[in-house]
Amino acid sequence: MRSIKIKVNGRQHEVLIDEHETLAHVLREKIELTGTKIGCEQGSCGACTVLLNDEPVLSCITPAMRCDELSVTTIEGVSENGELHLLQQKFVEKGAIQCGFCTPGMVMTSLDFVRKNPHATVDEIKEALSGNLCRCTGYKKIIEAVAETIRPQQHPAEANGSKPHNGRIVGTGMPYIEAAKKVQGKAEYADDIRLKNVLHCSFLRSPYPHAKIEQIDTSAAAKLEGVKYILTGVELPEKFGVLPISQDETALAIDKVRYIGEVVAAVAAETEAIAKAACNLIQVKYKPLKPFFEIDESLNDIGTEEKIHEHVKFNNNVHKKAELRFGNQEEGFQSAAFKSKMNFEFEGITHGFTEPHAATAYWDENGLTIITATQVPHYLHRALSKVLKLPLSRVRVIKPYVGGGFGGKSDPFPHEIIVSYLAIKTGRPVKVRFSREEVFISNHGRHPTKMTMEIASDETGNFRALDADIAIDGGAYGSFGVVTTYYNGVLLQAPYKVENFGFKTFRVYTNKPQCGAMRGHGAVNSRFAIETLIDDLAHQLKMDPCELRLKNFMPSNTLTAGQYRITSNGSRESLLKVMEQSQWKERYGKLPFGHGLGVGCGFFISGSALPIIRNELPQSVVHLKVDFDGRVLVTSGASDIGQGSDTMLAMIVAEVLGISMDKIFVLAADTLLTPVDLGSYSSRVTFMAGNAAKMAAENLKKEIINSVVARKEISADELNLADDCVFSNDRKIELTWNEAIDFTIAHRGAINVSGKYISPKLGGDFKGSGAGLSPSYSFGAVVTEVKVDPETGAVKVLNIWGAHDCGKAINPLAVEGQLEGSWHMGLGQAMSEQVKYFNGLLINSNFLDYKIPTSLDTPPIHTNIIETADPEGPFGAKECGEGAIHPIIPAVANAVFDAVGARITKLPISPEDVLQKIKNLSLPNAAQVNV
Amino acid sequence: MSDNKKYLKPVSVHEAITMSKVCGDDFRYIAGATDVMVNRRQGNEESFCLIDLCGIDELKQVTVKENYLSIGSLVRLDDLKKHAAIVKEFPVLIEAAETVGSPLIRKSATLGGNVLCENRCIYYNQSEWWRDAVGYCLKCEGNICIATGSKKLCYSEFVSDTAPALISMDAEIEIADHEGERTLKLEDIYTGDGVCPRNLKKSAVIKSILLPLQREFHSSFHKLRQRQSLDFTSLTVAVSIDKNGKLKSVLGGVDPKPVVVEGNSDSNLEEIIKLALKGSRAIDNEMFSRNYRRSMISVFLKRSFEKLIG
Repeated sequence: MRSIKIKVNGRQHEVLIDEHETLAHVLREKIELTGTKIGCEQGSCGACTVLLNDEPVLSCITPAMRCDELSVTTIEGVSENGELHLLQQKFVEKGAIQCGFCTPGMVMTSLDFVRKNPHATVDEIKEALSGNLCRCTGYKKIIEAVAETIRPQQHPAEANGSKPHNGRIVGTGMPYIEAAKKVQGKAEYADDIRLKNVLHCSFLRSPYPHAKIEQIDTSAAAKLEGVKYILTGVELPEKFGVLPISQDETALAIDKVRYIGEVVAAVAAETEAIAKAACNLIQVKYKPLKPFFEIDESLNDIGTEEKIHEHVKFNNNVHKKAELRFGNQEEGFQSAAFKSKMNFEFEGITHGFTEPHAATAYWDENGLTIITATQVPHYLHRALSKVLKLPLSRVRVIKPYVGGGFGGKSDPFPHEIIVSYLAIKTGRPVKVRFSREEVFISNHGRHPTKMTMEIASDETGNFRALDADIAIDGGAYGSFGVVTTYYNGVLLQAPYKVENFGFKTFRVYTNKPQCGAMRGHGAVNSRFAIETLIDDLAHQLKMDPCELRLKNFMPSNTLTAGQYRITSNGSRESLLKVMEQSQWKERYGKLPFGHGLGVGCGFFISGSALPIIRNELPQSVVHLKVDFDGRVLVTSGASDIGQGSDTMLAMIVAEVLGISMDKIFVLAADTLLTPVDLGSYSSRVTFMAGNAAKMAAENLKKEIINSVVARKEISADELNLADDCVFSNDRKIELTWNEAIDFTIAHRGAINVSGKYISPKLGGDFKGSGAGLSPSYSFGAVVTEVKVDPETGAVKVLNIWGAHDCGKAINPLAVEGQLEGSWHMGLGQAMSEQVKYFNGLLINSNFLDYKIPTSLDTPPIHTNIIETADPEGPFGAKECGEGAIHPIIPAVANAVFDAVGARITKLPISPEDVLQKIKNLSLPNAAQVNV
Repeated sequence: MSDNKKYLKPVSVHEAITMSKVCGDDFRYIAGATDVMVNRRQGNEESFCLIDLCGIDELKQVTVKENYLSIGSLVRLDDLKKHAAIVKEFPVLIEAAETVGSPLIRKSATLGGNVLCENRCIYYNQSEWWRDAVGYCLKCEGNICIATGSKKLCYSEFVSDTAPALISMDAEIEIADHEGERTLKLEDIYTGDGVCPRNLKKSAVIKSILLPLQREFHSSFHKLRQRQSLDFTSLTVAVSIDKNGKLKSVLGGVDPKPVVVEGNSDSNLEEIIKLALKGSRAIDNEMFSRNYRRSMISVFLKRSFEKLIG
């Protein structure tokens, strides 16, 4: 231990540190400035960037000793006297902040850059930011924020985050209500929460993919000073899982392990270091079993080997089979003039949110409280109650700010159950945080997939039949897998009209980390396949692939083959928009060899119509409370994980009540204080929580109007709420908001009103009809432009033109951010991302080897919001967070085909594969020349 | 539990070497620390003592020494472009340096540190837990190469991006250790053994990199990687030709050491490619396959020759 003197944000500190401690650790743990984030601990995400003597450094790999007698600026030191720096203002205003976890590092890197490069170009900005990973924004708005800091715009009123126009809030781009907090590093994420007297938890994880646990000896670990509790699986035998039909996981492995990395023991100790050291002292005797890593192995009879799960029906590792057929596929294929059939292979990918999982639990007179990075407080609440055998009334789940989820924080997790249990057992708060490697091992990402798909059309291109045979690799446990199994098939029944349609999907267990829900859940890979087949069909038909799509789009207000109710449908508008912007007609098929355009379309659910746990309760409730101060407290269980749902709720309430945003306070996602919302999954929040908020606000409006009517002689329909006033049409009555609230409270007491959302009854009466049912669907299209190097096979995406029908953009700034983030994530799956295993061991469990596109890998994105006004969405809104990821991936692959004639059937697109295909294509030509 | 590990910060090369003697073998020099700190985090580097060279100002100079440009080993990669002599005479060094890591890494990482960058392999650059689960490999005191099954040789890759550029221009390095000072050809410090990839004494400090002036190099540089930032190399190809037509091709990322093939502007270029391929012992130990990386050797070399010779 040594003492160093370090000046942080102008304040002198003398800190006692371990001599090999990192600067990031000292800043967060010793000086308690938690604005500096730790995302990877190896210098490859940039979240920890701070200025050391005015030079940016990656504080997670900077020895703190080196900083002795030096000065450090962290994100907390950027704003002065409560005034945001211009750069911070621009980040807020341009919508450059979503989850906010990368923001501190982004701001520090940019701050240094704008100081030293007052004349920088956009390309130079992209280069400068290329060591800071962002998973939410696609970098577009961040680059804009930096560019505008360098060259402030002449007309600031035209900026995206402008003041409400025509007094309307809905439809005006608004920075997130918490953006200023995030941009100053003040927003607290799960690992930033500091409780007194906290114990730290660490896990011993299995080094075997499939093995019996014969013995666990914790005696040596128990002797270590500072160890408070050692937990093994037998203490928590109750199974859980996010779906009631897949309760197949326990908090820790009992009797056997099913993947490398599964938690076998947990230690709660005075420090993280002691907990880790204790884990290393636990001796576990394993008896290895034959592991299953491949889909095919798990599909087949496994002979005398042990199954991964006993509950599996047959002598294999098939978790779920789903099959649905509509119309007459046989006839459809037989009568067709053109057919296209291909085999596809998809690697698994993972969410790559920048904030690692973290949680703190404590037990007090109110029972259990857990503060955790989760997308679904409600389902976690239920799982904790079930596994820990606590009444629902003794569990409280609090979601702090969450650094991205994308589906990866939408299951109840073992670590959440474990720290909760340990908090009960030790009587002290217990905290856990994951390393980036642990995040990767926990996975729950997109399933590795193999599929065969066939499509057929008549002579003029009308789709006649569609068939898919799909197998998905679920890993060791169920997660959302049953839903994924269905989604792979059912979400093929739009946006094109195909009456003769069917699919069969198997989900298998393998001895790898489990797969689950990830942005675009279940439908991304099969969307890639069908859009590729359509491209091929167009080629056969000698038809423009956009024209073929336009010809087959289903109309608005129709039913699909599987009886989805399609209401508003902006497919056509979306596709026409990107065709026009990309100069499709002028350029498609006419660019020189190596240069191409490609198109893809897609659609997605706007919230699952059925709750995960079947019940009659509302899917979302919003309460509004108003007292004498006139402030409206919005409480909702909806989980803002960076997508902007808190802001959306505030905007809707403000719009209905005609009041300004500063009169709204949103309290969300605390299961004690807020009513139930099912969580941030299936793109349901704007539609469902938004509708509940709208109904609550309308109820409040009625209360206010009724009170005014009771006091003044005026009929209710003469009264208006706008511009922070309640006034009659003739302006004879004109009350300020606070006067109106005083009237109301005098009339009926302080106000608490609620609104709710319950989906309408939808769908057919066959088994499986509920899968993919939604009150509304979003639609979209993407065109991309690529260049392919024919000698290396390297693909470079030059442009992305995207359009997405979100019904109505309540907050256009946030909608753009969601779309750009989706297209960026799709670009990653298309170009570079995959989880890779070696004998069941994840090989690339870090941000260096798992390749999320950097700012330099992200081309210009041209964003278009299409509005079609959904009849049931709040103000006509529907989803925008997931649907946009579907069309981009096939659009890239189809552009590669246009460029060099190589048909992509495997993701990610590898230059090696492209090169081989180019070579194969040139072979017959070469032969001709020789002859 | 606090560890009692040590950190020392010498202000001269002499002091650094003296400190290293006191530490016995259980120390590690750090310069930018961008490589060592990550290896420490993963448990691949566990020295008791870190000797931080960043306070040695004598290693931060760029000067002309006789017919050489001497670049101090502690010059940061991001600062190379600030020296007019480098920009004018050896622009390929800047081109190579700009492909290292990310802009943030390059603001800490030094030229000396980059030429000494530890060899990499996907089966080695993993956490302690991971390597324990897979069974330790030759490079971390195991008895088998996980990637090849070999019991003898470790094929971890040489991944410095600046070294191939430097070697292609006949760079030399000035070294000081407890036995004194000497100057070596840069390529001569690399052994080709992935476990122990450099033949320098543990106490050795690189003082400077020397690049010959008045040779009027024309150079080309290619780096194969999946992303345009952050990634280590999967294949680096640096080729330089001087005013007398002396041609030197250097490959990184496909062997435990840089692969060097020399010739001149009249050489049979196909032959140079053949020799380069023969010298490269690439294996399947990263995200790009061995076959693809090998096929890119020919493509990158051909492109280099086209640029430099036509």
